[in-house]
Amino acid sequence: MTHGGTALPAALAALAVSTALGAAVAELTRIEVTIARHRRAATAALVATDTCVAEVVTALAPGWDFGGVLAGADGRPGTADDGVLAAPAGCAADAEAPPGPAAPPRLLVRFEARAGGGRRLVETLVGRDPAPAVPALLWLGALPPPGAITGTVTLDGSDADEPSSAEWSSLAAPDDPAMLDRWLAGEAGVAVSPRTASAMAAAAPPFEALRARLRAAGAAGAEALVGAASPPPTLAAVDGDLAIAGALHGAGVLLVTGTLDIQGRLDFTGIVIATGGVRVERGGSFAVSGAVWSGPSLAVEGVLALRHSGSAVATADGLLPLPRRAVLLGLRDVG
Amino acid sequence: MSRGLRGTGVVELLVGTALGLVVLTMLTATVASGARLLVSAGARGEAEDTAQLVVEAFTFDARRAGWDPAGAGVRPVTDAQASRIAFNADLDGDGAIDPASEETAAYVCAVGAARLSRIIGRQSLPLADGVTACAFRYLDAAGTPIPIPPGGLDAATRDTVHAVALDLVLLPSGLRGRSERTVLVALRSRP
Repeated sequence: MTHGGTALPAALAALAVSTALGAAVAELTRIEVTIARHRRAATAALVATDTCVAEVVTALAPGWDFGGVLAGADGRPGTADDGVLAAPAGCAADAEAPPGPAAPPRLLVRFEARAGGGRRLVETLVGRDPAPAVPALLWLGALPPPGAITGTVTLDGSDADEPSSAEWSSLAAPDDPAMLDRWLAGEAGVAVSPRTASAMAAAAPPFEALRARLRAAGAAGAEALVGAASPPPTLAAVDGDLAIAGALHGAGVLLVTGTLDIQGRLDFTGIVIATGGVRVERGGSFAVSGAVWSGPSLAVEGVLALRHSGSAVATADGLLPLPRRAVLLGLRDVG
Repeated sequence: MSRGLRGTGVVELLVGTALGLVVLTMLTATVASGARLLVSAGARGEAEDTAQLVVEAFTFDARRAGWDPAGAGVRPVTDAQASRIAFNADLDGDGAIDPASEETAAYVCAVGAARLSRIIGRQSLPLADGVTACAFRYLDAAGTPIPIPPGGLDAATRDTVHAVALDLVLLPSGLRGRSERTVLVALRSRP
């Protein structure tokens, strides 16, 4: 008698079905893993692009328009470097003028970044901040060396006239904000009020352009600093160093193309710009309601007191339009 | 009948059949279980893909809201309700918004219909089905949620919106676990 049965065919059929099911699950898993990998690459590239946008926009020099940016590093329009912006590794940025009217000044910047195997293209619109200046009490062209402050420095980012207004930063310079905060914390004699924001990154102040604009505006000289308190706001520009030996007051905008050397006392309401740096000698006192924009040389052996004053900055801006930070006005993902 | 005859008795046949049935039942159950796993894994993958697609589409439209290369004063958000949001972007840079083009993008949560739709111009595209919860939130410059009145935010309040958020829960049929996403996007046109 022949032994027949269904066990073997059934087992084989079950094995075939199970194999097909297993293959389907494996294929499904493979597809999902591939999709996830692509999404991760796209996300990594997007993060890299956004980081690049933030770094490039922050690094754009404060100013009044974007003519210098469009002219490129050589400052001459019509050359190969027109609109090419310095960007971090793995990223490229090119700028051009956007369509529409020239005012308000705007910039169309295209970014391309690669990271994690992905690539993203982003277009951005960059404009100038409506608020004047950089929101920092002390805006430096470069970070001074450690030990620059041996006297007393007090920084208060709250506005006495507008307590609800945004707090200003203690310090701005073209460096990593964490490094700026570390430098400030490492200096003896520095007192920062609790209502002062952390340090911020900002390109160096446009000293040359400010000097030219002040000259064009017919700024007075050192005589604008007077002995009487609360003088009217005015524009003042001093070529070379300026030493303050007595007790003087000033308001508006003061530009010193050399070093501002405080041996006596200077109380100022507005913006003090010292291209060559600021030195407050032992026994000297320098108090500013507004902001100080200084070159890299900062030495404080006496007393330096800075307090945010929105009204003082607005008055200074009324006398001489102050430079504005570059800010992001819009963004769109292209690919 | 000779005692030397060989063959299969009734009892042996019954036992064999029973054993075969048991084995077949186990095999069938195993195969069915595998099939259910496959269907479930496929549905789960599709649900997660759908949720991720919603996040990517919403992020894409919110990031470019207010794109205004011509400086024409394009308002990024033109409708801000808990169940509906509309974005504007001057994509061709002509200084005007064409309501029939992709320069307008809206999202509508229809929880009653278990659907989230994306409306580009005048074309409505179902983005996700199986929606069990869906809502938009609006945050001001300080990151504080803005209360939404029944009719949605008025124009003045919409101008204070600095970030928009979408909370989405999907529960496609056949799945027990929910797919949840919350995405918060800053409006890049707000300096």
